Amino acid sequence: MKLKRTINQVFAVAKTDFLGIIRNKTAIFFTLLFPLFFIVIIGFTFGTQGATETSRISIGAVNRDGETIYVNDTISQNSTIGDGFVQALTEANFTVYEYSEYGDKDTNGTAAYDISRGQIKIAMVIPANFTETLSFQYSTPTKANLDLYTDPSDPTGSIIAQQSILGFISGFVSYYQEIAINQTPPDFQGYVEVLADPVTVSTSEADVSGRQLKWIDYLVPGTLGLVLLWSGLNHASLTIAIERTRGTFQRMVIAPVSPITVLAGKLISSLAIVYLSAAIMLASGVLLFQVNLYWNIPVIVLALFLGALSAIGIGLIISSLAKNEEAANSIAVIISVPLQFFIGAFFPLSIMPAPAQMFGEALPFTKLVNAMQNIMTKNLPFGAVVPEMLYMTVAGLILFALGVIAYRLSIKRL
Amino acid sequence: MDFNGVEIISVTKRFEDTVAVDNVSMNVAKGEIFGLLGPNGAGKSTLTKMISGMINPTSGTIKVGGYNIQDDSMKVKELLGVVPQDVVLYDYMNARENLAFFGKLYGLSGSKLRNRIEELLKFTQLDEKAVKRHISTYSGGMKRRVNIAAALLHEPQIILLDEPTAGLDPQNRLALWEIIRTLHKEGKTIVLTTHMMDEAEELCDRVAIMDRGKIIALGTPRQLIKKVKMENTITVVPDKISPKLTEAVQKVSGVKNSYRAYDETEKIETLKVITDRAEDILPDVVSATLSVGTKILSIELSRATLEDVFILLTGRSLREEEEQT
Repeated sequence: MKLKRTINQVFAVAKTDFLGIIRNKTAIFFTLLFPLFFIVIIGFTFGTQGATETSRISIGAVNRDGETIYVNDTISQNSTIGDGFVQALTEANFTVYEYSEYGDKDTNGTAAYDISRGQIKIAMVIPANFTETLSFQYSTPTKANLDLYTDPSDPTGSIIAQQSILGFISGFVSYYQEIAINQTPPDFQGYVEVLADPVTVSTSEADVSGRQLKWIDYLVPGTLGLVLLWSGLNHASLTIAIERTRGTFQRMVIAPVSPITVLAGKLISSLAIVYLSAAIMLASGVLLFQVNLYWNIPVIVLALFLGALSAIGIGLIISSLAKNEEAANSIAVIISVPLQFFIGAFFPLSIMPAPAQMFGEALPFTKLVNAMQNIMTKNLPFGAVVPEMLYMTVAGLILFALGVIAYRLSIKRL
Repeated sequence: MDFNGVEIISVTKRFEDTVAVDNVSMNVAKGEIFGLLGPNGAGKSTLTKMISGMINPTSGTIKVGGYNIQDDSMKVKELLGVVPQDVVLYDYMNARENLAFFGKLYGLSGSKLRNRIEELLKFTQLDEKAVKRHISTYSGGMKRRVNIAAALLHEPQIILLDEPTAGLDPQNRLALWEIIRTLHKEGKTIVLTTHMMDEAEELCDRVAIMDRGKIIALGTPRQLIKKVKMENTITVVPDKISPKLTEAVQKVSGVKNSYRAYDETEKIETLKVITDRAEDILPDVVSATLSVGTKILSIELSRATLEDVFILLTGRSLREEEEQT
């Protein structure tokens, strides 16, 4: 009888709390639709590509090949290979702008001017003796040198552009070596080939999934970590604070309901919000971007539950200790916004400094992201994510217990 | 007297350096309407919060229906129905949903809950259309009625009403008085907190006047008025009230006290003159008023009120007290 009464009370609290979200347009947006907006924007911007398209890289070509030079004291003016090189760049689908000189940042119409204004990401100067050096016109062996200039104000874009151009140059060099080797007497061709290219590197993606994966396929499992922060932590951080502002908190305190019963109701409604938000996130990934994932639903549900315990625990601490709704909201934003960059959903933790990596690795949300990526993209068995699950269980129980203590303290503050 | 209502024994409540309730002892008998009167900050709300179990006393004992609130808090909560001063409802739910929620908190379910909700929806006098609308669309009076209904679902024996008519227009105020009288007729014990002396006088069997954390007077309204020997009041409505006017009236022989008061119903400022020979000194009061160049809009004789008692006991009017707080 008492159990039935308690269960009724728990679900009454949960239902009332849940209705507070789904009948509030602002709450719906920030709790459920904002994550959807996020995945749509990120997905359409980057999601469907495995790598950056070369057409997105704008390169400035300063082709000085063909300018009058002296080769072995003889005037020469040959631009054959330089012109072919620029033509090949265009055919490789780079967006190529041609300039007559590199210039400086203040001289309009030069490559340096356009780099400084972000029109091009990288400039390449082809030397005047490009054709002569590569066609062995010099009496002593001479190497051709290409000068590359990148935009220091956009390090990420510059690195992508630089790596793409170096890749192109590497391909060009291989093609050139092949022609040069073909002109060598047959008995020496093998040796020359090794000498010309003594170390080769081949790069290809390892088979981690059994399927061809796009970037969005890795992003979507990571967004489940963001769901915990956006929906779980934020909703839980407001749930008690709103009741206090509204005055209904006092009415609950004077009713014959134990604090644990109230918190159980709040936990259920917060979990419902997390699962609903996660379902929207995953469904939009499937419907809009045709994500190619493995759906081990029981493990996904369990991992979300364990991760949500931590998020809701932190939220309850905030909600119980904050003076009002506004304060709770501000604290939740201050905590959740920076945290989302440390859970490995946007960037791999490996690119971060060691202290940041240690901090990120300590977060239960990072464990969820790791577990979900292992389960959903790599199709690893449950055993492979047991350490993450155990970590989330311990962290979740500790943080939720702290949330209960904070709630009890908040009752005494009435 | 049956003390199975509320017993308050030497209760003190401190908030750091402030003593909100100072060694208060009193009893509320079963079935009576008991008024806790006083200005804001007098300690009434703190005392009712302690009775409802929302906060604990620093020292002293409170028993509700014979149960100690600290030892048997769940039993006390079952006995009590608390109507907060502010409307405390979920504005995104309709009246029925709100009542269902609060009913479940008090352990009601199934047909018992459904029947109680229907009974109380009748009590709120909301039509079927209004019942389906969210609380946020209700008028102040409608919200107040649902607010009270939410505290009555579990049929509490003792009802705490904290300033139930604050901010209501006269019509809704009278309607709420009727509700309180009905609950009284049903045998409920009612503790009514108010700063409106006329309300207490109209409704309460007994009142306790609180000031600065202490009870300064306790008894039936008639007893209190008789105790201070102030049977009559002359209420003057002048065109303007000035210090010169109060000074002139105060000098009239037979005047015990005079003070400015605000008539909540008429929304006008009046000058109250306390005396035990109203008819004899009325011509002198009129002369004194006219002598300072003030016109009289109306004048009436009435018996003294609890407001007059409060002034005589504290030397301050409730209005002055409210302005200070």
